[in-house]
Amino acid sequence: MTRKLSTVDPSKKWSGPVREYDLIKELVIAVVVVGLLALSLAALFSSPDQKALTMQSWSKEAPADFVQTAAGELAGTTTSASYGPPYNHNGDNQNIGPVNLAKLAGVRIPIVPADSFVIEPLKLQTSDSTQAAIATWSAASETQRSDWANAYADALTKDGKALTLADPTGKFGPTPTLVTALYGMATSGALDGALTTSDSTLPTNFTKPLLFLADSGTYFPDKAGAEHLGGDQWGVMNETGSWPGQSWLWLYSFWYQIEPFKSSGNADILVMSLMGLLSLGLILLPLLPIIPRIPYWIPVHRLIWRNWYRKSAEKV
Amino acid sequence: MIKFLEINLNHPAHYFSVGPFSVSIGNLTIILAMMVIFSIALFAPFPDHEHSRRSAKKGDKK
Repeated sequence: MTRKLSTVDPSKKWSGPVREYDLIKELVIAVVVVGLLALSLAALFSSPDQKALTMQSWSKEAPADFVQTAAGELAGTTTSASYGPPYNHNGDNQNIGPVNLAKLAGVRIPIVPADSFVIEPLKLQTSDSTQAAIATWSAASETQRSDWANAYADALTKDGKALTLADPTGKFGPTPTLVTALYGMATSGALDGALTTSDSTLPTNFTKPLLFLADSGTYFPDKAGAEHLGGDQWGVMNETGSWPGQSWLWLYSFWYQIEPFKSSGNADILVMSLMGLLSLGLILLPLLPIIPRIPYWIPVHRLIWRNWYRKSAEKV
Repeated sequence: MIKFLEINLNHPAHYFSVGPFSVSIGNLTIILAMMVIFSIALFAPFPDHEHSRRSAKKGDKK
């Protein structure tokens, strides 16, 4: 079966009317107009100037949340401790059917939260009590460390407001000393520098502070929620403050708002796969059987070139 | 001078929500502006509209 899509034979030279078109003139006008518009809007509206969230701001604004999270890092109970690849082997991460892409790629950025976020930065401190606590911690067995840190993390969470707790029976081991020292380091700003320069001399790698911040129980989620940046708030589309955001990402964001994606533990990989399929459809658009018929049903091109079609009709 | 002209957007945004859909007023403004510009592109005549009409009437083929 053949379909007659057009009466124009594309192999023959165009013999209809032509018109002059100065592409360079249009390009210059477009660049000047868009440039003036961009400068004017920048002068009028400025740009978002939300301050970056740091270990220092976290420890000062939500100290109880900071110490609870630090104790959780030592106990290995935080999100990053059980994330899985590419950081560690403690989780499965996301699957698409039987395929686990993160596991296939493997652990490429090894991070043990207790060591990476707490012990390693504290080794830079000169305090004798801190160094003694690190020595005690390092000499203890895995089970012993877990018992100390879990007991302290549970006690801090139960209290809710305490920054340190007395330990008359010694059930917390060196954990309170380590957490308090880390808190002091964070409030001084030294922890930000220690985490960003742990793998290189230039402070350009923010993986560790971002993972640590993301483990926060309330501080980070509350900040994100207040700015409508959460995944369930169409956050990918939004900008801080009242500036317009990335509205072109609406379709990516849309899937996160509806089932089955909304409640799925594999939402990220499912959404990315679906968008990959839809993008493939867009690339193959001319080959899809129904697509070339759409201009016949919705002739927007006839509206743009209405003079041409009117003159053609007059001639006939 | 720039500070005098500046419109402060550094405050929490307002959102328009219907069912699962939620869009900030800033994003909504941009989307509506794009739709207006698209409509203008469809309906506004080409700048050399009159010239092209005269050329076509004369059967001007270049």
